[in-house]
Amino acid sequence: MEEILKVVDLYLKKGNKEIIKNFNITVERGSISVVLGVNGAGKSSLAYVLMGLSGYKPDKGKIFFKGIDITDKTVTERAKLGMTLAWQTPASFEGLTVRDYIQIGMKNKSVALVKEALEKVALDPILYLNRTVDKSLSGGERKRIELAAVYAMHPELVILDEPDSGIDILSLEKIKKLIVDFKETGSTVLLITHRDEVAEIADTAFLMCSGEIINQGSPAEISNFFKDECNHCDHKGVPEKVVQENVK
Amino acid sequence: MATKIIDEYAEMMKAYEQSGGNVGEFSNPNVPSIVISGNKVLGKNEVKGLIIEPTPTKDGVDVKITVKKGTKILYPMALCFGVLPKEGVQIINMEAYIEDEAGMNAVSHCVFPNAEHIVHKMNYKVHLGNHSFFRYKEIHFHGDKGGVEVVPYTEGEVGENSYFESTFTLKEGRVGKLDIKYDVDVKKGGKLELYSKVWAKGDDEVNIEEKGNLKGEEAKALIKSRVVLQDKSHSKVLSVVNAYAPYSRGHVDCMEVVQDESVAEAVPIVGVSNSLAKVTHEAAIGSLDSKEIETLEARGLTEEEAIKAVVSGLLK
Repeated sequence: MEEILKVVDLYLKKGNKEIIKNFNITVERGSISVVLGVNGAGKSSLAYVLMGLSGYKPDKGKIFFKGIDITDKTVTERAKLGMTLAWQTPASFEGLTVRDYIQIGMKNKSVALVKEALEKVALDPILYLNRTVDKSLSGGERKRIELAAVYAMHPELVILDEPDSGIDILSLEKIKKLIVDFKETGSTVLLITHRDEVAEIADTAFLMCSGEIINQGSPAEISNFFKDECNHCDHKGVPEKVVQENVK
Repeated sequence: MATKIIDEYAEMMKAYEQSGGNVGEFSNPNVPSIVISGNKVLGKNEVKGLIIEPTPTKDGVDVKITVKKGTKILYPMALCFGVLPKEGVQIINMEAYIEDEAGMNAVSHCVFPNAEHIVHKMNYKVHLGNHSFFRYKEIHFHGDKGGVEVVPYTEGEVGENSYFESTFTLKEGRVGKLDIKYDVDVKKGGKLELYSKVWAKGDDEVNIEEKGNLKGEEAKALIKSRVVLQDKSHSKVLSVVNAYAPYSRGHVDCMEVVQDESVAEAVPIVGVSNSLAKVTHEAAIGSLDSKEIETLEARGLTEEEAIKAVVSGLLK
């Protein structure tokens, strides 16, 4: 299988704190890879570093997308190469309609595709197309519109930062189905979450703790480990191996 | 002489189109309209129930517009004001009388495509009777030299259970100097909405003073300003809502976005002199939200395109 994303020995510091360290992953084209971790593990920072957001330039390491070194590329350059990010808490835009917002990233600006994307996230196009992407939307509605916008882009790689947070339990199945639809329509998905029940749709799973990958395997293995160890972890933010090393 | 007037009319129409207007409106007999270049009335169309009475003066035109009692004008009135030479003064004194149970929408395009030193003063007096409505939109097109001084002053009175909405938009070309003033009284059950949307560039100066006086029971007012500044432009927005009557409600919402070396100031003043009235306000001055810009960049827009999209939304 072809590698679409490769992260090599990545480090990110904020002040004196290492947010991401010794970070190495490879994501295969056409797959769903999940990065599972508790709150504060550095998952969102990882998403921001990969997308190249301001304030998230790595202190060390390389990021390759489709074999191209994108470590020093801008957000726009990365997007034009075919990757994008769906934010955990998306921004509001006064005056911009849902239709305009979704169309911004689309190569083919067809309204039919916008409607299809809205239906994928269980929003009625009749009710939402002309609404404004501002604070009048609830957090859940805004989140679904974000997912619809990245779906309509048909990116080669989409980073989904906690797409399941703030979504009610009934809609969760629809979001999981949408993530699978991303894959079926040719996108590779890097899914970032702290909910092990969402990880089951992935092909590969990584467990992130305190800024680094501490385990990798099948979604079932990693989910079970996460459920058993991380949800009740008494050393949150400090990987077990570090604890063990300190005990030694 | 006739050829000159035809050429002037054609040039006004060209500028009208550049400012986003549809010139077809001026040839549609169902659409009330007036075209004023400098102090010349180049065209006028009245419809049933609407009387337009222009009187040329030395530096402009006095215009009286009356919508007769019980008349609802079907199509928005199209107004085109402007000055074509590089220099000049235009003073429009306009009185609009919307009688009881009458209503009209109007869109005014003020065009100064060649301006290097133009002064445009608009003294507007609006009288809304009872159970009537008037929605007025003023859109400016100034060219890119910034040599325009625009001074629109509006005084008005909104009758019982009537509605007055006024929107001032200046986002194409340079502003120059802008000095907007509104002072509107609202009677029982009346509703006032004032919107100002301005994009200032270069060394443009923007001064906005908006005042709504809620004098009748259950009167309402919303004053909303959006000013985007770049380069070395300055703005000052003073928004005032005074509530004097029981159950009157007002809200002031001002947002100014500063970029480069621009400077912004916002002063919301809310006054309540009746214990059953309520007025709220919000004001924000700051740079564009980097998260909004980066979100659009992550969709493939350049930084410049993303800024334009965010600003266009704010001023929509």
